[in-house]
Amino acid sequence: MNEPQPVIDVKGVSKWFGSVVAVNDVSLQVYPGITGLLGPNGAGKSTILHMITGKAACSAGEVTILGQTSRGNPELYRNIGVMSEHEAVYSFQTGRQFIEFTAVMQGLNPIAGPVDRAIGLVGMADAQNRKLGTYSRGMRQRMRLAAALVHDPQVLVLDEPLNGTDPRQRLDFHDTMTRLADEGRTILISSHILEEVESLAATILLMVSGKLAAAGDFRAIRAKLDEQAYKVRVVTGSPRKMAAALAGNDDVDSVSIDADGELTVLSRNVGELQRSIPRLAQEQGIRLMRVEPMDDSLESIFNYVVDR
Amino acid sequence: MSSIFWLSIHQLTGRWRIALILLLAALPVGLALIVHFAAKGEADFNENFTNVLLDGLLVAGILPIVTMALATSSFGNELEDKTLGYLTMMPVARWRIILPKVLASLIICGPVLLTGGIVATLLGFDGEARPALAVAAALAAGLLTYAAIFTWAGLVTTRALPFALVYVLLWEGVISSFINGVDYLSVRGYTLAIMSGLDKSSFPALEDRVIDFPVAVAGAAIVTVVFLLLGVRRLRRMDVP
Repeated sequence: MNEPQPVIDVKGVSKWFGSVVAVNDVSLQVYPGITGLLGPNGAGKSTILHMITGKAACSAGEVTILGQTSRGNPELYRNIGVMSEHEAVYSFQTGRQFIEFTAVMQGLNPIAGPVDRAIGLVGMADAQNRKLGTYSRGMRQRMRLAAALVHDPQVLVLDEPLNGTDPRQRLDFHDTMTRLADEGRTILISSHILEEVESLAATILLMVSGKLAAAGDFRAIRAKLDEQAYKVRVVTGSPRKMAAALAGNDDVDSVSIDADGELTVLSRNVGELQRSIPRLAQEQGIRLMRVEPMDDSLESIFNYVVDR
Repeated sequence: MSSIFWLSIHQLTGRWRIALILLLAALPVGLALIVHFAAKGEADFNENFTNVLLDGLLVAGILPIVTMALATSSFGNELEDKTLGYLTMMPVARWRIILPKVLASLIICGPVLLTGGIVATLLGFDGEARPALAVAAALAAGLLTYAAIFTWAGLVTTRALPFALVYVLLWEGVISSFINGVDYLSVRGYTLAIMSGLDKSSFPALEDRVIDFPVAVAGAAIVTVVFLLLGVRRLRRMDVP
């Protein structure tokens, strides 16, 4: 059987600005469905998305979308919807005018139907006649998403699309993306927040320091990541009593108390630990003031992946 | 193309820009009114009117400054606020982005500048139509050429305005006045030569110091086309922020 062809194919791509290497020899493939491009700020996500969408030239390597080179190929944009990380909009236009402008530029005719559909998809029908300059950040993001969707593209490239959105909008975004992916589209979403992509993308691409640190099935990568011990900070009214209680817990590898009386708990089963801590505190009559992961950031996860 | 044209018109018609254009375009009219009543009939009136008001003020000063203020902003503003990505992510040829941007600059400052030039010339030449039309045609040619140059400059650097100002003051203002041969590469030189070529009898003060009319027309056309093509090339090759 023939191997499925990647919709987005990045081959040995690098990008440098003078002596600074922003992206270093990255090769990746994106197939239909939702793929998450994850990485901490400064990892090179936006730079590689710029090269994928043809906004920036590759210093080395090549990018193709749907088998065509994306750089210097404006016709390809009929099949691609792009939402950049910059939140700039034409503030003097109303939301609807912005989408109509995009529809006209995409060569749609008539435009009313697609414009209504795109605005409806992002739930902005009520605010469509307000000036973009009066929108909240989340509303602007949604209208920018509508602009990326108005021509019903086969491929969507969205750079940090959830910036500034509230939990309700995130749920709606989740539903919309899932529906579009189910219809056979290819969606590449970048984010620096793991949880944003966790429930959305089955496949992830992890970038760190301009390199692709890992790629593949999200759960498989997550399972490997789960093998490492995480640090959790616990602040209580009775640190020694809490430390003693935690020391006897199976999910805890070690507990230490610093000079300020804050506990640092090392665990390989953070999910279970988060449930155990409130229970233990209640049982011991200890006042729990704060529980927070100390290194559940992408940076630490990526460092782990890279160091393995 | 019309969508980008109207978008650009909206972007470029900020209050301060329109006020600046109106003020500068009214300047030669005001001065022409003053000299019309104060110096009319003096022996060297025509020479002074041509050299000081039409060349020194209108062609060497107001024409490039007004065009520069608009044309450098047509892409400069989009680069600065990072909205250029919207246009470059559209399935349209790059020349279809450049051309409406240049046209928008022309449409905004053209009528005002040309009206100022025509009215000032009519005042200086006792209402004669021919010199006024020659001035209008020359200004239109200069406007188009400058618009192409400054639109390209706005794409090349985010500091287009200061660079353009230095170019206008040094190259068009000083160097082209004192060094022979520079007129062949000067928009001011083309503009004055077209003005003189269309009405030699009204502008005798220019006759000895301008390049040939056909050379000026060809020069203005070539510079315009070259800078439009450079703009298209730049838009194709640049990394869009």
